[in-house]
Amino acid sequence: MKPLMLHGHERSITQIKYNRDGDLLFSSAKDNHPCVWYSINGERLGTYEGHQGVVWAIDVDWETKRFMSGAGDNMLMIWDVQTGKALGKIEAKTSVRTCNFSYSGNMALYSTDSTMGNPSEIFIIDVRTVDSSFSTNDPILQIPLTNAPKATSMVWGNLDEVVISGHDNGDLAQWDLRTGKKINLVSEHAKSINDMQLSKDGGFLITASRDCTAKLFDADTLDCLKTYKTERPVNSAAISPILDHVVLGGGQDAMDVTTTSTRVGKFDARFFHLVFEEEFGRVKGHFGPINSLAFHPDGKTYASGGEDGYVRLHQFDPSYFDFKFDY
Amino acid sequence: MARRKESDRAQQNNDDSDSNPNDELEEEPNFDDPEGYEDDISEQDLMGDLIRQRPKETDGVESIVVIDGVPQVGPERIEKLQNVLKKLFQKFGKITNEYYPLNPDGSTKGHVFIEYSNASEALEVLKGTNGYKFDKNHTFTVNLLTDFEKYNDILDKWENPVPQPFKEQGCLQYYLLDQDACDQFSVVYEQGDKVAVYLNTQPEPSLLEERPRWTETLVRWSPLGTYLATFHAKGIALWGGEKFQQIVRFSHPGVQFIDFSPCEKYLVSFSPLADSRATDEPQAIIIWDVLSGLKRRAFNADKSQALPIFKWSHDDKYFARMGVDMLSVYETPSFGLLDKKSIKVQGIRDFAWSPTDNTIAYWVGEEKDTPARVTLLELPSRNEVRVKNLFSVADCKMYWQKSGDYLCVKVDRYAKLRKDKSDIKYSGIYYNLEVFHMREKQIPVDSVEIKETIQAFAWEPVGTKFAVIHGEPPSTSVSFYEVKTGQTPTMVKKYERKPCNQLYWAPSGQFIVLAGLRSMSGALEFVDTQDFTVMNTGEHFMATDVEWDPTGRYVSTAVSWWGHKVDNAYWLWSFQGRILKRVALDKFCQLQWRPRPPSLLSAQQIKDIKKSLKKYSAQFEVKDRLKMTKASKELVEKRRKLMQEYEDLRKQKQEEYAEQRRRRIELRNNVDTDETEGRGGELEEETVEFFIKEETTFIDE
Repeated sequence: MKPLMLHGHERSITQIKYNRDGDLLFSSAKDNHPCVWYSINGERLGTYEGHQGVVWAIDVDWETKRFMSGAGDNMLMIWDVQTGKALGKIEAKTSVRTCNFSYSGNMALYSTDSTMGNPSEIFIIDVRTVDSSFSTNDPILQIPLTNAPKATSMVWGNLDEVVISGHDNGDLAQWDLRTGKKINLVSEHAKSINDMQLSKDGGFLITASRDCTAKLFDADTLDCLKTYKTERPVNSAAISPILDHVVLGGGQDAMDVTTTSTRVGKFDARFFHLVFEEEFGRVKGHFGPINSLAFHPDGKTYASGGEDGYVRLHQFDPSYFDFKFDY
Repeated sequence: MARRKESDRAQQNNDDSDSNPNDELEEEPNFDDPEGYEDDISEQDLMGDLIRQRPKETDGVESIVVIDGVPQVGPERIEKLQNVLKKLFQKFGKITNEYYPLNPDGSTKGHVFIEYSNASEALEVLKGTNGYKFDKNHTFTVNLLTDFEKYNDILDKWENPVPQPFKEQGCLQYYLLDQDACDQFSVVYEQGDKVAVYLNTQPEPSLLEERPRWTETLVRWSPLGTYLATFHAKGIALWGGEKFQQIVRFSHPGVQFIDFSPCEKYLVSFSPLADSRATDEPQAIIIWDVLSGLKRRAFNADKSQALPIFKWSHDDKYFARMGVDMLSVYETPSFGLLDKKSIKVQGIRDFAWSPTDNTIAYWVGEEKDTPARVTLLELPSRNEVRVKNLFSVADCKMYWQKSGDYLCVKVDRYAKLRKDKSDIKYSGIYYNLEVFHMREKQIPVDSVEIKETIQAFAWEPVGTKFAVIHGEPPSTSVSFYEVKTGQTPTMVKKYERKPCNQLYWAPSGQFIVLAGLRSMSGALEFVDTQDFTVMNTGEHFMATDVEWDPTGRYVSTAVSWWGHKVDNAYWLWSFQGRILKRVALDKFCQLQWRPRPPSLLSAQQIKDIKKSLKKYSAQFEVKDRLKMTKASKELVEKRRKLMQEYEDLRKQKQEEYAEQRRRRIELRNNVDTDETEGRGGELEEETVEFFIKEETTFIDE
C-alpha cells in the first residue's frame, strides 16, 4: 500500500514515537517544533512551540497526558498533550540528548551531552511535581558520567527499578535507581549506540549502533542474544509487537552522502527475522538515512523518520503476514 | 756481558725472596733467564697476534689476477692473443704488468697473470670476467692471486657433504583431486590483514584456511596453481600443500611485484626501491629458482620500464627484456644472454612472446622514411619469419590468441601528423586490426578497419572469435569477429549501443561477460556467443573486478577496497549470470581463483566427453539436487534449534512477566493495561472527525 508521507518538518527528523493506543504519532526534528499527527490518516494535530534549538528526543506517557521533549537549547520541556501548553521547563547545562517516561508515568529520565567541560549526566525527576517553578528543583537522582563516554540513548528497565543507558563507545550500562550505582556493564558494540527500544513486554531490548549492527539483548541480564548485520550505520531499530520481526533503519552518514544516487546510501528500512537473524525484506523510500523507526502498537503499521525530513507511515501488505520462514 | 749480569741478579733476587721477602722490595727485579735456561715456548704462542701481521710473500699482490682457461697458442700467435686479452681486460682498470708463462717450446701455458694498479680493479675483473666465454672451447676462470692461499688451506681429503634430509611437502597438487572439481579461491580483506582460502562448494563455499597477517599487501597464485605467494617487507614466501605450509622463502627487501615463469620454475621479484642503495650487486630484480629457493641472477631496473620487465617464453626456456634499440633474450638455466649478445632492433617499442611457440612479435615505430613494422622472430635461430610494414602508425598493441594460432595487432593510424617542438600530435585517428594467421604458410595477414575508438579487445581463449568494444562511451558498441583459415575475419555479430568497457571471456571460450566497470557502475551482461543470446543481465554496483573461475562455471565480481572505499564485497555468479552468493566483507581487497594446470586429456578424449555430456549431466544434476536438499535440511534444522532456544527464553520471560503483573498494575494507578490496550471499560468511545476533502460544485441555475 502507498505509504503516508508526513511532511510537516522543515529539517531532518530526529525521533518518532507512537502513544500507547497507537492513534497518535509524535515526531521531532532539527527544526524547533515537535509535531503530533493522527496515525490513521497522517493529518497533523498540532505542534509544541517553545524550543529554540534542535529537538533531539521526545516521549509521551502511557496515558497520553504528558509529552516531553529534550532539545539542543539545553531545555527539557514537559507539555500537556491535549492543549500543547508547556507544563514545565528544566534548564540543563548542556543539550538534552534523551528523555523517557517511566512505566508508571510518574517519573522521567533525561540525559545531557558532555560539552564545554560539563560531563554527560543522567537525571531522574518526579513528573507529578512539575509546574512552571520546577526548573530550580533538584532531581530525585543525578548520575554524572565523569570521565566516561556520554549517554546517547536510554530506556527504563523493568518495573521502574533500573535504567539502561547506551553510550558513545558502544557500552551498555544498567543503573540501580535506589542506590544510583552501576550494576551491570556490557561492551558488545564497537561504536556509539544510536537508539534502544524495548519489546512489548519489556523482556528484550534492541540496540542500533554506528558499527553497522543492531543487537538483541535480554533486558534484565543484558546478555547479547542476536546480532543483525548491515553495511551501514544503524540509526534505529524496533521489535514488532506481534511477530518475530525486527526492523532496522539507517544508512550512510549524512555528512558522507555525496551527490550520487540513493543506491549508494542504502536508505532502506530492512526487516530481519528476530530469531534467525536473516533479512527477508526491504522498504525503499527515504532519500536520506533513516533516523528513527517505530512499530504501531498493533504491529500492522510502522513509521520511519529520515534525514530527508519526511515521516513515512507504511501499512503492511497481506503478503507480509503470510510470509513464514520454514522451520 | 750484559746478559751475564742480569742472570746473576736474578739468582740473587730469588735467594732474597726465599729468605726475606719484605726487606728489599725496592730493588729492581731481575728478568734474566736462569743459567742454562732453554726457551721451550714457540714464538707463535708468545706473540701470535703479531706474527699474524707479519708481511707475507703474497702481500702487495692483491691487485694481481690469475686467468685460467686461456687458449694455448704457439709463439707465433702470442702477440695476437696478448692484444685480444689486453683489450678485454683494459676495460676494468689500468694494467701495470702482465705475465704469460711459457712452455719450453715457447707456447703459452694457458694461464695468464695480470696486475692492476689497485686491488679494487682486480675485484671488478673477477666479477666481470669469471666464467667469461672467450670462444666456444674456452671459458675463463679468474682468481685473485691472494685467493690461492685460501685454496691451499682446503683439506686434501674430500668430505662428502651431508645430504639434507628430504622434506616431505605432501602432494602440492592435491586440490586437483577434489571429487567435484570444486575450485579454490583466495580472499584478501580487512585491508590485507586477513587472507582466507575457500573451496567453492555449492551451495555455500567452505572455508579451508584463514590466517591473520598472512601477507602484508596481497597474494598471488602461481600460474599452474601450485603455490600461493605472499608479500612481505623482507621478501616473498610461497605456500602450498593441503595445510598451506611454507614451501620456500625468497629474501628480497622492499619487493613489490612478482612474476612467475609460465611453468613455475622461476620467480622474478622486483623491488623498485632497492636501486637507491649503493651496493655492487644489482638488487632491483632477482630471478629465483622456485624448487631450490636459490637466487639465479639479479638485474638492475630502468625506472621507466613497464611491468613486467621480463617476459617469459611459454616453456621457461627463454626470457626477454627490452632496452633502448635492442631486445635482450636470456636463456635458462645458464641465465646468460642468448648467443652472448642482445638483438639490435632500432626503435623497438614493444614485444610479446607467443603463448605456445618460441616466437617473439615486436614492433618498431616509424622513423623518417622507414615505415613502422611488426616482426615475428623465431628463437633461438633468430629467423624473421614474417615482417609486416605499416604506414601512418601512431601506436600498436599486440594480442596473441591463447593457443598461439593467431596474433592480432591493433594499429592506431593517423590521417594527419603535426609536430609541435618535441610533441607529436596525431589527428584523424582510425584503427586497424591486423590478424596474423600463424599456422598457415607464409603467415598471411588480414586487416579489419574500424573507424571508431577501440576501447577493448579480447580473443576467445579457445576458439576463433574475438570481441571488440568500440565507440565513445557511453554509446559504445560491441562487435564479434570470426577468423577462419584462409579467409579475412568476418563480423558475426554487432551489439549497438551496449554500454560496457571490459570484456571477459570464459576460459573455455563461447561465453563472455560484457562488463561496465567502475565509472559505468558495474553493469554486467552474460552472452553466449554460439548463438549470441544474452543469457542474463545483472549489476554489481560499482564493481571493480570480474574474474572467471578456471573451469568456466562461475564468475566472481568484486568491489575492491583498493578501487572503491564503500560496500566492499564479492559476488559469485553462475556462468549464465544467475547470482549465487553475495559476500560483504569489511575492507575486502582481492579475490583470486586458484589456477589449474592445462588438462591432460587429449583432444579426442575431450571430444568424447562432450559427446556423452547428456549422460554425465544427469548424474551431476542428481548430485546437485541431493546437495541442495541436504543444505536446506541443515538450514531448517539450524533454524529449529535457534527457535527452540529462543522459545525457552521467551517462556521464562513470560512467566516473570506474569508474576510481576500485580506490581505493574500498581504502578499505573490500578489500571490494567496488560489486557486492555485501548479496550478497557473505563475508556470512553471517542468520535474523531477528519477533514478529507473539499469540493466546490457549481449547479446550473
